[in-house]
Amino acid sequence: MRVKGRHKATKYRGAAGFDYHRLESTATQKSSYVTAASLILVLILSSAAFLIPDRYLPGLILCEMLLVIHGVYRRGNPGVIARVFIVQLIITMSLYYLIHGQSQLAQGAVAVLRILLAFIPGWWLSITCAPERIGEVLTWVLPVKWAFVIAASISLLPYMTVELREIYHIQCLRGARISPKALRDPRNWSELINCVIFPLLIQLLKLSRQIAVAAQLRYFGKSKQPTHWR
Amino acid sequence: MSKSFNFSLQDALFIGFCATLLVALKSMLRLKLGISGHSMFLMTFFYLICYGVVGRVGSVSACGLQSGLVAMILSVGKGGPLILIKFALPAIAMDLSLILVAGLFTLRWRCVLVGLIGCFAWATKGWVEDLLVGMTMQVALVQFALSMLKGGMFTLLAALMVPPVLERLKSHDLLYKESAK
Repeated sequence: MRVKGRHKATKYRGAAGFDYHRLESTATQKSSYVTAASLILVLILSSAAFLIPDRYLPGLILCEMLLVIHGVYRRGNPGVIARVFIVQLIITMSLYYLIHGQSQLAQGAVAVLRILLAFIPGWWLSITCAPERIGEVLTWVLPVKWAFVIAASISLLPYMTVELREIYHIQCLRGARISPKALRDPRNWSELINCVIFPLLIQLLKLSRQIAVAAQLRYFGKSKQPTHWR
Repeated sequence: MSKSFNFSLQDALFIGFCATLLVALKSMLRLKLGISGHSMFLMTFFYLICYGVVGRVGSVSACGLQSGLVAMILSVGKGGPLILIKFALPAIAMDLSLILVAGLFTLRWRCVLVGLIGCFAWATKGWVEDLLVGMTMQVALVQFALSMLKGGMFTLLAALMVPPVLERLKSHDLLYKESAK
């Protein structure tokens, strides 16, 4: 009944010349295409950072500087890039210095630069593209069942997080050694598994059974043309 | 290949939940400290749990691919499509090794062996990346040995925790079918 009503409403709006629904759906479609193009761009740039010869590196650096500027303009945090750069620089350069002495430090610096160039496109993607659009693009290539599983898992993530938090706090009150400070010692990790992860696994088993029954009762997997929820 | 990924909806959902939880825990506990092997702990644990609960070859690869996709969607870790390889490669290596060792040892030793093979695949991926970015063979080999050592330690810890958890799930009658023994 509701669906019928909505359909009618859309028809009326269409007749009046303002088809918001269609307008919205065209905008969504467009942003999905933009996301797909961004994904391909990121894949190409990240792979190029590993594969292209040294003489083409300045061109790649220029491209990625544009990405960084765009990312910062979209309120991304450039501190993440700086942290990755510093961690990689310290580890790689100290290894180069210990093994080869001072002679090949420049080569080490180029290697660190390439690692950074492989990292920047992913950082840019996480700022510019909405998660739901990336998910929608992935459903174009995934089988229906796995697309449903990913959608269900991500939409149930808040529920799982709440469960996890509740179990964690209750076990903390019971005196389990699982506070962030105690978890710095790997000997306490088995306690985390027994007190938090084990009850959570029980919940997940139960939840997967419930969702599977609910989906099958709604004839999931019976029709060849599944509907999508936007 | 498509037949080995043909799980029942319930199994597929459990694999998906494990994958999502792996990614969420990884970002929540902030275990992403550059190249160290912390992430191998959660990866090995959830992959082996999936194998133990679903009890079929292909479940580990499915979990790995799902976690890669979820990490890509939620932009956890370094983001971008390359994160898919990071999650999927150890999983595929573990699955392939499971075909070879299925039914050979006790569950405990099988978990340790399969986990270490996954860790080897993860460290090899880092080694190939290091060589591709132009590091010298010696530096790349030292990095490989360090990742193998650190990752191997965490893998071992996680792999030893899986059989007791599976045992407890089974004794509570929560595994609804014949799973890995």
